[in-house]
Amino acid sequence: MDKILQYLQPMLEGSEVTLEIFLLTFIMVLPIGLLVALGRTAKCRPLQWLLELYIWVMRGTPLMLQLLFVYFALPLAGIKLPDMVAALLSFTLNYTAYFAEIFRAGIQSIGKGQYEAAKMLGMSYSQTMWRIIVPQMVRRVLPPMSNETINLVKDTSLIYILAMNDLLRAARTIVQREFDMTPFVVAAGFYLLMTFVLTWMFKRLEAYFSQYE
Amino acid sequence: MKKKMINAHGIRKQFHGQNVLSGIDVEVEQGDVLAIIGPSGSGKSTLLRCLNRLEEVDGGWIQIEGDMFVQENDIGEVIYAPKEKSKEIQGRMGMVFQQFNLFPHMTVMGNLLEAPIHVKKQPKEEILPLAEDLLARVGLSDKKDAYPSQLSGGQQQRVAIARALAMQPDIMLFDEPTSALDPELTGEVLHTMRELAEEHMTMVVVTHEMNFAREVANKVLFMADGNVVEAGTPEEIFDHPQRQRTQDFLRNML
Repeated sequence: MDKILQYLQPMLEGSEVTLEIFLLTFIMVLPIGLLVALGRTAKCRPLQWLLELYIWVMRGTPLMLQLLFVYFALPLAGIKLPDMVAALLSFTLNYTAYFAEIFRAGIQSIGKGQYEAAKMLGMSYSQTMWRIIVPQMVRRVLPPMSNETINLVKDTSLIYILAMNDLLRAARTIVQREFDMTPFVVAAGFYLLMTFVLTWMFKRLEAYFSQYE
Repeated sequence: MKKKMINAHGIRKQFHGQNVLSGIDVEVEQGDVLAIIGPSGSGKSTLLRCLNRLEEVDGGWIQIEGDMFVQENDIGEVIYAPKEKSKEIQGRMGMVFQQFNLFPHMTVMGNLLEAPIHVKKQPKEEILPLAEDLLARVGLSDKKDAYPSQLSGGQQQRVAIARALAMQPDIMLFDEPTSALDPELTGEVLHTMRELAEEHMTMVVVTHEMNFAREVANKVLFMADGNVVEAGTPEEIFDHPQRQRTQDFLRNML
């Protein structure tokens, strides 16, 4: 028990890094993902192709590779980013692609009757999207969003390779120093706690947005 | 002479090379209730949707209250009024859909206030009395805080009518307003429409309700295969149909 307590301090610090990356990425991904989704559903062909290419590259290559690219390859081109910024950039670029696709599916699941009703009431494109389509989309995308969000929590552990002291790295450091596997179990407990809280929050959100159904 | 609300001539519309409307004329004067009847696939809903530009015509012209909405130039190109003007003309027409198309995430009152506040930019205190009056007229004052999903189909359609009226249109278009309803619920919607007609609202109604067409409309248009087969007063169409196609259709409907 003492041992666990003594491990706890560095692991809590690691959790802070993990949570920081998760939260900042999540906050950035929501609006950017929504904008990309709206761009994908707008009628501008070149924009659609550009965004499709972006999504293809981001979903079609490993996140680990993207992290290594931003962290090690960009500096060769003269772009040296601080560790945290590099990590955030990679995660945001990658997860935006997934969230954009979730949002796009949500937008396209709204029947064309809603657009026609809005049009006949004189609403503009942006009024129709922001006031009619997107609010209805939110309820429908919550379950797949919940999935992706939990994935993001776990994927933050990939920054392990960037020598940033996240939760997983903190655990591994102790394991290597003490020859004791307990920190892995503690780390698992931390991740489970985070995903538990997220799952609970998404459940509440779903209930809240279901009130009109 | 009464004001011409809709004057459309030679409207043509194709879907995938198939003629859906092959040169339709429509004339609606102020206070008219025009019923468009005909078998499924005759193009009557498409015609209605062409009148308010939910579909764009491939030929012909449409004037709304004397203003050119769409016309054809010398080389047969279809030209709509400039964007702003077109939107303004569209705004003179209220539309009621077969599937209601209420906004499910807004309350009944929210549905009514949405466009007046955000499109017309009317202050809420100005539009609220009108909205409450409209809800009373469709008999749903007690439902103003309900969500559409909590209402029956007939109630939803009456809200949809009130929502369209809240924009104070000059013309109301109804696209099979009772076709998605259980038979016992059609009466309440038709009752609301009948009251609207008695208040001299100009209405164009695509419908399968022959009794409604006969009793409420003062003009009837019978369409088949993208053409107007016969047009006239309800007495002319229902009691003395001239064309074989009309007689066959009515025999099956009545």
